[in-house]
Amino acid sequence: MAMTSTFSKRAAGQRLTQFVIEDAMRLRQRANEGAFVVWIGVAVPAELFAGFDNVVYAVPESHAALCAAKGVGAQQAEKAERLGYSTDLCSYARIDLGTAFDGGNGSPIFGLPRPDLLVSDNNNCALLCKWFDVHHREWGVPHVVLDVPFCYERQQPADTAYIAAQLRDLVDTVAQLSGQRFEIDRVREAVKHSCAALQLWKQFLDLARDRPAGISAFDSFVQMAPIVSARGSERLVAHLQRLVEETRQQIARGEFPVADERYRLLWDGIAPWPQLRKMFGRLAAQGANVISASYTYCIGSLEGEIALFAYHGEEPIDYLARLQNATVCPQGMALRIAAMRRAISHYDVDGVIFASNRSCKVYSLMQIDQMRRIREAVPIPCVMIDVDHADARKYAEEAVFSRLEAFLESIDDARA
Amino acid sequence: MVAVVHTLHRLRKAGHRIAGCFPLYPPTALLHAFGFTPVVLWGLGSDAAELRQSDRHLQPFACAVARELSECLISAGQTTFDAVVSYNACDTLRNLPEILQAASPESGRSLPLLQFHLPAIPLERTVARSYLERNIEKLIAMLETLTRSAFSSRQFFASTTLYLTQHRLAIALEDAVGSGQISFAAGAELLQLAHILPVEEHIARLREQLAACADRGAVHAEPTRVMISGIVPPPVALADAIDAIGLRVVANDIASLHRSYGYAPAASDNPLAYYCDYYLNRPACPTISASADRRLVEIKRLINKSRSQGLIFLGTKFCEYEYFELPQLERMLRAEGIPTLRIELAAATTADSGASQLRLEAFAEMLRQSEHGDD
Repeated sequence: MAMTSTFSKRAAGQRLTQFVIEDAMRLRQRANEGAFVVWIGVAVPAELFAGFDNVVYAVPESHAALCAAKGVGAQQAEKAERLGYSTDLCSYARIDLGTAFDGGNGSPIFGLPRPDLLVSDNNNCALLCKWFDVHHREWGVPHVVLDVPFCYERQQPADTAYIAAQLRDLVDTVAQLSGQRFEIDRVREAVKHSCAALQLWKQFLDLARDRPAGISAFDSFVQMAPIVSARGSERLVAHLQRLVEETRQQIARGEFPVADERYRLLWDGIAPWPQLRKMFGRLAAQGANVISASYTYCIGSLEGEIALFAYHGEEPIDYLARLQNATVCPQGMALRIAAMRRAISHYDVDGVIFASNRSCKVYSLMQIDQMRRIREAVPIPCVMIDVDHADARKYAEEAVFSRLEAFLESIDDARA
Repeated sequence: MVAVVHTLHRLRKAGHRIAGCFPLYPPTALLHAFGFTPVVLWGLGSDAAELRQSDRHLQPFACAVARELSECLISAGQTTFDAVVSYNACDTLRNLPEILQAASPESGRSLPLLQFHLPAIPLERTVARSYLERNIEKLIAMLETLTRSAFSSRQFFASTTLYLTQHRLAIALEDAVGSGQISFAAGAELLQLAHILPVEEHIARLREQLAACADRGAVHAEPTRVMISGIVPPPVALADAIDAIGLRVVANDIASLHRSYGYAPAASDNPLAYYCDYYLNRPACPTISASADRRLVEIKRLINKSRSQGLIFLGTKFCEYEYFELPQLERMLRAEGIPTLRIELAAATTADSGASQLRLEAFAEMLRQSEHGDD
């Protein structure tokens, strides 16, 4: 008989925690030893930095998510608010600014080491450039912006070339500022590792295709962390390999996140970091499992797709440029819908939760129409709830669950 | 918004082909050269009842500019506009084209949508410049297809000449506001019309107003001088209050005012060179990433040049571009001894203007007291 597993906090969860801590410690140690530190937006192709001897990178968005998941998001955000940063600003930004202004105090990993260079990109969110500009002005640290054109249709060759040219300029800038030599073959190796890791990632996500699903999207949210912090590394490949094997073994043993799975749901939006555990638990109690999420199925895919965009040994910078839309936010609605329809079919989803998030307008300000079109095209029950990805003060649990419970009933009605 | 829609209908009746442009800085001269009357859809004003169509598509945490623009395009778009032009001005606006294009399918006609990407990296860089040039070429090709007419360099020169004239007159009117020859409320209203009226008509209105100002002569009273910043000018009640309180707006950094007309390149027959110049040299704006480094410097320069005693920041709620820069801007001005006042404007919040007026009065009083203190 299938059993509900405490999977996420057993072996895989413990290894994840260890991985994250080791990465944070490695980053700090190398920074202390004189490595050139780059802060990047989450979509900046970090594999490029593998081309240098001693360049390390940190991702403030990821750090903010960690703060939120560990329950200190609001307290760190308040530090920025007290300095005049509006509560309407993205909560990741407020958490990061608050932490940075307070010298890392309050952060589970004591903040991030001070950067030598800031690299933002505007594909996920042009406001990231504004956020990094604050650090740029505050600390006098150089800031490079990568301009990635928004995609209403698949990326055009001229756009790929434009992005690739900027990536080459970025390499020159890092070489100049760090005084280090760049070797493209190292990047090639890093891209190979990343591609292998992304292949494993897709395998991990596909464990949700079973009935009951072998994973929850909430597992995939937390397991994203190493993909962000250790891109292009062999240890990431090894970590994901073990994750996939271990999850398969759990499935073989009949251990499932929601054994009594009656509702297979898809999540559209950033992970609601402060609510992960509780939201998973309350949904699971009703036989509902969020088995897939646009936030995680987009990773490693081209716009409008959910399949892996594989690396075949071509010029690595061109490959990285082509993959710059591998998150939801740089994509127009037609592409978002195309990918979502694929996911609904691939994972055999019963209903979609659109997580409208006032901290992330780029993800959210399309969802009303997207939801309407998905409802019409598939058709499938959908619901929209209000969340904030990192600011627990902006979340009303009972209001959200009233909607979710009605939504589950609408799935029952649709079946009847 | 009603007044704007009336104006658009009037133009339509008079035979204008109207291109509805997303803010902030669309290539109006190019559209004009193709025979369009470009209308930049911001500062439309609204009340809650007027945002019903928009609210069916956008969450309330979209800014007022996006909600009002959506309302206008959904409710009047199919019958009013011949084309819609957008670029990647901000994260919110870049999400809208597909929503708005399909918002009124019952009309049986989809509005032609012309898009281009404005590089967010400095246009001094070859890669950015050539990418912008390619995008302008693509836009020209789209316009040629849409209008079935070839690009005319002669017409483009004529159009850019008009926009240069409009720029010069707008700056002159801004000066008239600064010298007290015309109230801020009246000046701002006329300057804002640049986005709605045909450029020829706007030029005529500016000339007429400037002539009236010249007749009135200089105003000698020594006012309390302030600079105003934000995305759109304040609602009429608040603008009137600024005048009534005795605050003189001697400089503005409003996106739909000075940041829009503050720079026009020399007349040109070359659209590629013209738009590289236009986007490279225009006033710094938080939405233009490449201008970030010079923005605070420019604000400081404007404050000093205009001898402003304080800065009033009119925040458009949910415009994160502005709000990310604001704390450092305020801190910089505080260090210079320049007080600042934040007022937040949201869609349909005219009811709040009483509270804002009170804050304005207190701010004005503080500036006067500090002026006397200095004496």
